Amino acid sequence: MAGSALRRLMAEYKQLTLNPPEGIIAGPINEENFFEWEALITGPEGTCFEGGIFPAKLIFPSDYPLSPPKMQFVCEMFHPNIYADGRVCISILHAPGDDPMGYESSSERWSPVQSVEKILLSVVSMLAEPNDESGANVDAAKMWREDRAQFNSIADRIVKKTLGLHQ
Amino acid sequence: MPGTLVDRLPLPNLKAYTAGSAALLSMAVYYALTATSQAGWRAGGGAAGAEAAAAADGALEAPAAPAPAPPGDRNLTEQVLDVATYMMQEPLCMWTLINASCCALALAGAGLQRLVFGRLRVAEAQRLKDKFWNYVFYKFIFVFGVLNVQYMDEVVLWCSWFTALGFLGIMAQLCKDRFEYLSLSPAAGGWARARLLALLLLLACAAAALLAVAAVYGLPAGWHTFAFMAAECVLVLVSCLHSLARLALQAADADAAAAPVYYTHLVFDMVALVVELVDALHMVLAHNMALSAGALVLLLQLRSLLARLAARAARHARYAALRALTMHHYPVVPGEGDTCAICWDAMKDARQLPCKHLFHSSCLTVWLQQDPSCPTCRRALLPPAPPAAPAAPPQGPRNTTIHFNRMTSSRYVSWLPSFSVEVTRAPPPPPRAQIDAMARQVQAMFPAHSLAQLARDLLATRSAALTATNILEGRLPPEEEPSFPEPPPEAAPPAPATVAAPTVEPEPEIDEEDDKPVEVQFSSSSHERESLLQRRKRQLVAEARRRYLARRPPAPAPAPAPPAPGPAS
Ligand SMILES: [Zn+2]
Ligand SMILES: [Zn+2]
Repeated sequence: MAGSALRRLMAEYKQLTLNPPEGIIAGPINEENFFEWEALITGPEGTCFEGGIFPAKLIFPSDYPLSPPKMQFVCEMFHPNIYADGRVCISILHAPGDDPMGYESSSERWSPVQSVEKILLSVVSMLAEPNDESGANVDAAKMWREDRAQFNSIADRIVKKTLGLHQ
Repeated sequence: MPGTLVDRLPLPNLKAYTAGSAALLSMAVYYALTATSQAGWRAGGGAAGAEAAAAADGALEAPAAPAPAPPGDRNLTEQVLDVATYMMQEPLCMWTLINASCCALALAGAGLQRLVFGRLRVAEAQRLKDKFWNYVFYKFIFVFGVLNVQYMDEVVLWCSWFTALGFLGIMAQLCKDRFEYLSLSPAAGGWARARLLALLLLLACAAAALLAVAAVYGLPAGWHTFAFMAAECVLVLVSCLHSLARLALQAADADAAAAPVYYTHLVFDMVALVVELVDALHMVLAHNMALSAGALVLLLQLRSLLARLAARAARHARYAALRALTMHHYPVVPGEGDTCAICWDAMKDARQLPCKHLFHSSCLTVWLQQDPSCPTCRRALLPPAPPAAPAAPPQGPRNTTIHFNRMTSSRYVSWLPSFSVEVTRAPPPPPRAQIDAMARQVQAMFPAHSLAQLARDLLATRSAALTATNILEGRLPPEEEPSFPEPPPEAAPPAPATVAAPTVEPEPEIDEEDDKPVEVQFSSSSHERESLLQRRKRQLVAEARRRYLARRPPAPAPAPAPPAPGPAS
């Protein structure tokens, strides 16, 4: 079980290393445990998160890729689709089986053909275009809708923080 | 054993327990010494009979019996023997001895744990604690509720029996957890595995030996006794053998999803569950069924065991049904040259779904248990839908209350995941303007590719998504690439610089080592991979910082001042 997961993760790691999508780095922090990765995601250009480098943790289940990994930002985040504790709320990270509220069609959910790379690219697009109907962070969603200027300034502060720049 | 587990337990830790036991033991020995040095102590005990069954009652009177005989002429061995005999007969000393042997076992366990496992991980310690308390609880119920033993020596015998087995069981559990942990890491050394293997073999032998003991001593006492004694031995034995089988299967690099492996696990799971169930049933039947708390607990346990067995059987039925389904309805086709999208390994023979997508047979079976749809295009595999499999949730009206982020954005939607790539479909060729638009869109993501090249590929693929996939998978390297022929397209880290901050020259304020572009390579050594990853991360952050400062310089320095304050220093 874990053996095939390990092989697949190794293959993904290799691909992400040899052929990384722009501005994205991901890999196991410590290879003692290959099922816990850290990813760095560059905020997409032309958005309020532009230029930030956002670190996130990816925890893989032992039956990966049958079940999706869990993803959590480890830096401060303020975004309609990211919970206060950093967990990311996007459909691709949800297993087809667990949809208590029946919100999603299964075509958008996790399947083994998805990959770390696709997850991270989805997250980049989520950063670029939040879905303000999501309930992950209500305050952020409200501010995104009603007070874009303040949202942008918060985002800019977070970007600076992720870069280690303080004023 | 327990003391090594968790600090939060209301158990003393091993050190305190050892110290306490040692103190108690020495007190008991001292007591026995003084008692036996009074000659004639034997008379009191002896009068009550040396038979073990009566010893408890007899020994009570022993110290009270005053005797005038001088103890001076005894040699050391005799004295030791006397003390030992006395201690075996005197209940308080007896319990101290039992406690001391428990303590010795705990120490041995701790030593073994240190030797084989090193530090326990939190999850392992937690599982161990649960297992320990569970075990103690049920065995307590068994000894005092089910057997309802009357004599002290019987209690002692049963307790020592279960202590020994509990020790083996806990060790077996540790081995199982540790093995699972080891299989999570590619770097896990053969040495750790070898130690695990040795311990498992030892445990299996010990369990088998105890089973033999149960047969030799338990059978004469009746079938019930034997069955009670043997059940726990068999459980430990099965657990050890299962772990050994896992080790062997992993060493042989067996395909985890293949049928033989699946059935191996199934057999072990089932045997363990059935033995446990029969044991519990036996207890309930042997119990006099008075409506006691013990009976209630046993019935509850029986119920949970039945539920587990039923769940396992249901899981297997589902597996078998899906396997039959794939076997009969989806043809096996040669899949050479393709990789299975589930495990990313190459395929020799593949199963073909109605949508023409190919997967390993075993991978497909495992996935279908999770969700009866094609992993690639998510087409529901309706034909003869397996009984337990829920149909795909209906799409449509509920979409208005979407909770999760949908990829409906214009900018990313065309090539983002979860959109199927259907090679067999052939829509009419899109107009030129549309091709150009898509080319620009793709080029925004992959600036290294020229518009013309992208347009050519788009004419063939007719989809920005497919072209993006081609680029991502290295099938479409950028055409004009003068100096680096071998690294794949946009792999070189400096690429971002050309897009974002062309006018600002990079400032050499970070470590020299970090400033060199990391060569694109995937080392075979895990340490090298780790350090390379760290370097790439530092580089990415440094680069982003530089670009940020170039775009929005901090207050004191105006925009592109060459020696801008170095943020990294
Ligand atoms: Zn496969
Ligand atoms: Zn398909």
